[in-house]
Amino acid sequence: MTAVQARPRGPLPTRGYQVFRAINAIVLTGVVVVTLYPFVNVVARSFSGEDYIRSGQVNLVPRGFNLTTYRRVMSDPLFWTDYRNTVVYTVLATAVSIVLTTCYAYVLSKRRLRGRGLLTGVAVFTMFFNGGLIPNYVLVSGLGLRNTIGAIVLPNAISVFNLLVMKAFFESMPAELEEAAAVDGLDTYRTLLRVVLPLSKAVLATMVLFYAVSFWNSWFSAFLYLDRQDLFPVTVYLRNLIAGATSGSDNTTASDTALQIAASIRAVTIVLTSLPIMLVYPFIQRYFVSGVMLGAVKG
Amino acid sequence: MYQLSRRRLLATAAGAAALTVAGCSSGGAKDAKDNRTGAMDKYAVGDQFKATEPVTFSIMMLSSAAYPYKADWPFFAQLAAMTNVKLAATAIPGSDYNQKRSVMISGGNAPMIIPKTYHPDEEAYIAGGAILAVSDYLDLMPNFQDKIKKWNMAPDVDAMREADGKLYLLPGLHEAVWWDYSLAIRTDVLGKLGLAVPQTWDDLHAALKAMRAAYPDRYPLSDRYSMPPNPGADALLSVVGSTYGVYAGWSYQHATWDATASTFVYTGATDQYKQVLQYLNTLVGEKLLDPESFTQPDDAAQQKFASGKSFVISTNAQTVTDYRKDIAKIPGATVAKIPVPIGPLGPTLMGVRTENGVMISSKARESKNFVAMMQFIDWLWYSDAGQVFAKWGIQGTTYTGSVDDGTFALEPTVGWAGLNPNAPKKLNADYGFSNGVFAYGGSTKLLDSQFPPEELKFQQAMSTRKAIPLPPPAPLTSEEREQVTLWETGLKDYVNQQTLKFILGQRPLSEWDAYVGELKAKNMTQYLDVVNKAHQRYQKDHG
Repeated sequence: MTAVQARPRGPLPTRGYQVFRAINAIVLTGVVVVTLYPFVNVVARSFSGEDYIRSGQVNLVPRGFNLTTYRRVMSDPLFWTDYRNTVVYTVLATAVSIVLTTCYAYVLSKRRLRGRGLLTGVAVFTMFFNGGLIPNYVLVSGLGLRNTIGAIVLPNAISVFNLLVMKAFFESMPAELEEAAAVDGLDTYRTLLRVVLPLSKAVLATMVLFYAVSFWNSWFSAFLYLDRQDLFPVTVYLRNLIAGATSGSDNTTASDTALQIAASIRAVTIVLTSLPIMLVYPFIQRYFVSGVMLGAVKG
Repeated sequence: MYQLSRRRLLATAAGAAALTVAGCSSGGAKDAKDNRTGAMDKYAVGDQFKATEPVTFSIMMLSSAAYPYKADWPFFAQLAAMTNVKLAATAIPGSDYNQKRSVMISGGNAPMIIPKTYHPDEEAYIAGGAILAVSDYLDLMPNFQDKIKKWNMAPDVDAMREADGKLYLLPGLHEAVWWDYSLAIRTDVLGKLGLAVPQTWDDLHAALKAMRAAYPDRYPLSDRYSMPPNPGADALLSVVGSTYGVYAGWSYQHATWDATASTFVYTGATDQYKQVLQYLNTLVGEKLLDPESFTQPDDAAQQKFASGKSFVISTNAQTVTDYRKDIAKIPGATVAKIPVPIGPLGPTLMGVRTENGVMISSKARESKNFVAMMQFIDWLWYSDAGQVFAKWGIQGTTYTGSVDDGTFALEPTVGWAGLNPNAPKKLNADYGFSNGVFAYGGSTKLLDSQFPPEELKFQQAMSTRKAIPLPPPAPLTSEEREQVTLWETGLKDYVNQQTLKFILGQRPLSEWDAYVGELKAKNMTQYLDVVNKAHQRYQKDHG
């Protein structure tokens, strides 16, 4: 540790370090290109003419630039209904999840809690075992949750992985802070709300991001528990569109004429669906700061 | 707290017992006296079904991406006006229809009518008792029976019966075998090289050779429809296989009926299957068939054809019109869907006349509207009038003329597939007709009415070919099926994998006997024993 402190600030001008930086930059640029290329390609396709896409001439730049497909997709009322559903489900489900996970994790982080091992075990158990598809369906139906928002929000409200991450974070928080709060006369709840949570912005931001992204992307529980199209999230809409476009006919006598969904429509829908959730990242990123706790406890 | 008295408890138990007994005795349509609400007293072929009072039936509704389900389609309004039936739909995205169907049926939540089921998918639900044995109630379905008789389809339907001799799925019925897939060829390239349209697979081989000679830098045939876990180029394998007498590619079936020996043999080990592989292997070996045909995504194959890097590709009635648009940029390029080249069996046609169909939930049997529902299904899916309605809609609104006398035409403002492609409204997306849930099967006249002239010519060429007789039924019991499914999985994986190796030349065909031995090690013989035993049992019990 002393060695680290003794180093002067700023990058070391050693040769090895420069090489390391150079390789780092090259590798990371490669990763960026590989990850970004498919997306840029989809964006380019969304603005391109159908002929150019089919003959494989669209790469990074749109060819035969047009906005007709955007107009077409946006004029489908079902798309917007489902889009609104996705926003509502994501916001509500994330809020519920954050509240429940925080409460659960905070309780588990207290070593003095009796039955703590059991409570943790109950949660961890569900990571490895679950009832299976049909029992879950019967359960949700039996609770009368089918075709309600509850079916989306409640069954996946607590992700055990997120719970454990949060528990670890709370455990690493100096006990002295809470002792000080107790000395100042705060009860457990106010300690959580006034002291612990304000210091946990980093983990809360992470959790919001994890939950929001997973709810935004999720389609399966909606597909399973919702029977009406006007309740579907946009992911189900998108999935049907893409699957419909790729699965030709698997039967030589099928009477359904092969579905032909224009490649540009797929691209437009993908862009419109993934854009909002990507815009969330920059806003949440500023909370990913380390060292919030620095200097909170002395001596 | 409310306490159940002993007497009350007894009474309840007795009531329950009585109900159970009543439940057991209700079998066959004759007992359906209490389920006749809304049903027509006299309902026969040619009658328009109309429920005597408004009724509602629940139905599983596949929502296709190309025409997403809309509750306000004119189809539903008109249907209600004609039949007094309202359909309460559970909309399910087509992408995952089968999965949701399984969950709903197993979870006890299935709607009364469960359409869009491909045989043998219904077998998974029989043991649980969730699906009605519809063959017990066929006397409620005069049109269905009439079509079977008129088109001589008893063997086709028998092939779908289970080991108990019953039918759990009402299949769609085609008057004739409908062959959709074939090859699309650049006819301008054929013309330039002085070649005629290939009639046989040997002709095709010669034509591909000539193309390769003229354009040595490209593979003349680069194919699509590769869907793992199938071997790849699944349409091509299926088409070639059909002319050699085997179900290959995406229509692969494990057992092939050997009529001369009166026994089932294993498809992947037959000589015909070997010949199919031999043929394709030759094409690959002479660099006429692109090896990527078996792995590339559809888009890639289509792009090669569109940019003139290949000249032949698999097609159906629909895709050939897309290819035509794709190659419009190449000057002088023309494309045509050719009749399936003829193989060693001569001009034959191998296919089934049954189609995906409708299952009925067992719970529907208890509904007071059960009889009305069966009559309704019979009318909509099996009567001539119902089929024309489901497919083409309302005379004067969506179409003019008549299917019967060949004067049929869509209204100019209404488009469907190749017909009126630039019309402002779509028959399926905007009106709800020609929906795959309701419209399939029917007479050849009805089918022909949907084709543009080019496809009609193809169909007429194909209809002169003789259909190969169907294999006899060999339904398995549920225990046998469980065992056989395990064997099938291993066998199919192996056949798929080796098929590809043989075609691509990674394994020489001289090792064929070794390969058959390997199949035996994967329980091929046991598999055939079970199937042949099932066949003999069925012959004895129901033949």
